[in-house]
Amino acid sequence: MILYILRRLAVTVILLFVLSVITFWIYLKVPADPAGFLVDIQHASPAAIADAHHKLGTDRPVLTQYGDFVWRALHGDFGISWQSISFSFGGTPTGEHVGALVWHAALVTASLVLGGFVLMLLVAIPLGTYVATKPRSFADRVSVGLCIAAISTHPLVVGLLLQLFVGNKWKLLPASGYCTTAKPSREALEAWQRFAPTGVPAPCGGYVEWAHHLVLPWFTFALFFIALYMRIVRARMLEVLDEPFIRTARAKGASEFRVIRAHALRNAVAPIVTMAAMDAGLAIGIAMYIETVFGLPGLGRTTIRALAGFQGYDLPVILAVTLVAATAIILLNLVADLVLLWLDPTVTRKRGRGMSRLVGRAA
Amino acid sequence: MAVVDLSRAPELTFDDGPESSRPEGQWALTWRRLRRDRVALASGIFLVVLLFAVGPGAPLYERAVGHGPNDLFPYAVNVSLRPAGPFTVTWATSTLADDDPFAFTHKDPPQGTKKTLLLLGADSQLGRDEFLRLLYGGRVSLEVAVGAAVLAIAIGLVLGSIAGFFGGVVDSVISRFTDLVMAFPLLLFLVMLGSLFDYGGITRWTLHGVFNEGVLQLTLIIAAFTWFYPARIVRTQVLSLRGREFVEAAQMVGARDARIMRTHLLPHVIPPLLAYGTLLVATNIMIEVGVTFLGAGIKLPTASWGSLLAQTWGSLLNPNPFNPASVQPWLTLLPSLAIFMTVFALNQFGEGLREATDPRFVR
Repeated sequence: MILYILRRLAVTVILLFVLSVITFWIYLKVPADPAGFLVDIQHASPAAIADAHHKLGTDRPVLTQYGDFVWRALHGDFGISWQSISFSFGGTPTGEHVGALVWHAALVTASLVLGGFVLMLLVAIPLGTYVATKPRSFADRVSVGLCIAAISTHPLVVGLLLQLFVGNKWKLLPASGYCTTAKPSREALEAWQRFAPTGVPAPCGGYVEWAHHLVLPWFTFALFFIALYMRIVRARMLEVLDEPFIRTARAKGASEFRVIRAHALRNAVAPIVTMAAMDAGLAIGIAMYIETVFGLPGLGRTTIRALAGFQGYDLPVILAVTLVAATAIILLNLVADLVLLWLDPTVTRKRGRGMSRLVGRAA
Repeated sequence: MAVVDLSRAPELTFDDGPESSRPEGQWALTWRRLRRDRVALASGIFLVVLLFAVGPGAPLYERAVGHGPNDLFPYAVNVSLRPAGPFTVTWATSTLADDDPFAFTHKDPPQGTKKTLLLLGADSQLGRDEFLRLLYGGRVSLEVAVGAAVLAIAIGLVLGSIAGFFGGVVDSVISRFTDLVMAFPLLLFLVMLGSLFDYGGITRWTLHGVFNEGVLQLTLIIAAFTWFYPARIVRTQVLSLRGREFVEAAQMVGARDARIMRTHLLPHVIPPLLAYGTLLVATNIMIEVGVTFLGAGIKLPTASWGSLLAQTWGSLLNPNPFNPASVQPWLTLLPSLAIFMTVFALNQFGEGLREATDPRFVR
């Protein structure tokens, strides 16, 4: 067991190494000049451009740059985002620290993914259980049909339509933006008062505002996964309800509700959580769409801004996001495997996945 | 010596009525089972109609209405910049005759200007034909999706059968690779690579004008990240078949490995791959839409379903603000519907095909 964990962790380190190399390679291939973050390439003198390169450290050999990055990353310092970097007269760089940037973005993505996940469980488990107790009934057929339809719906489409109609046209819920869970400070409110006539939205915060702004993103996120997971819950439940111990429970006179809740549900639902951990990669992909549509400053949107910003490839941010996302996904997968092993010792370390599970993956 | 005239001998036939004892061929059986599946059949018919519409249908319609997908009709956009809705007949001219910037309507063009039909209205402030752009956009999206699926399956077939048949290093490398890719957010990589090639080179490849710019690039990128799944399917299939008697028999007769793979194993592998390929096309359409929406796929003015969705929404760095006077909901609804119907039909047809080709499947 310990050996298994160690081997998985070793693979993780190798993967992180490969990922960082690929990211660096892409950076080398992109013809955008990083000096563009500091000076106007079109009009600056060659000396100014060379100076900008020197300040960013991009005039050093690639291997030195890479080694320096690894060394500092191991010490928890990812550098300063090139999009926001500026230099004081002493030559000390100031700007947004990538570590803090990625941390804040990760919090946004986490609140989207976790909230959507809870919403998904709240719908998928009761619904899947209900239709499994009445197989081939009208409700069963309708919900299975709706599931297939929901799997075929692009999360972007759901997000855009919800934003357009529910958010913008009918004005039932906020259409975009993110509010932190902390209340806005008095200074921020006072500062906003001065800019209010220019149409800058008021600073918002607190748990109510936070949840209010996330309702549409959560729903969009959950809809895709409800479709995936309801089918799994239903199939597992049908399997479990055929088991002898269910018959025993019924024979002993337990009420149908008790049979379902205490005997069947527990066995059917336990693997779902671990399965969800394996879908973390997919979840981050879906979150990328949702963050873009609803203007949430999460990991996905941060990456895309760093990739396709006005000046080009913001290497420190992209490296940090790639590594953080990959680490999170791999660790979640590892935890999922371990929990699965712990739940059911007869499971071999093989992930059985049907074809239709693959379908939803890449979307 | 009597000479037997073989040409006049009665032909030996196995066809003795409906109670024929000759077993049905694999494909005849598949077709018979598929025909019973009404949903799959309807989806198949829809797909054929769709292929006709985006293939020969688009240029035919273009000839019928007399304008192309990139022609501008400023008269189809009113003075508050709201594009016209479905069933609009507008002036077929690309210049406005307006002289008063404060007028509430456009001034009619000079005498003799012809009119033209925009079946589904105008696509944006530029006033292009939405229906034609949907057709041509569908062509681009399907080219990318089908091309990437074919490429991925070809690669997967070769590497999967090698891995399954010979095992060893190739096998473990492919399997490890698949595990890693499955855990990682595919979309992040696609967007990264998409923005890498954004600067020219492969983006400009069109194979002498057969494809639009950017199609081949996106096809290759998507295929490069999706061949693992078909490889896995082929590998498991080949792995389970290579120990069977008919393979041993072929080996004993002295058949070479290549021949065994081609004539003995391939027929077993093709049906599930075909079904998976259909599902893969559906997934690829979703990926194309997503990557293009995020700004790393097909570039304007080439239409694709992704760019049509993105057009009303704006670009990533500055999304269009919602303006009730100028927003046309049809422009979000129509591409959404096209994407949904196509993906839904592909999913249904793929599932039907899978059930029809699987000899063990009992409805």
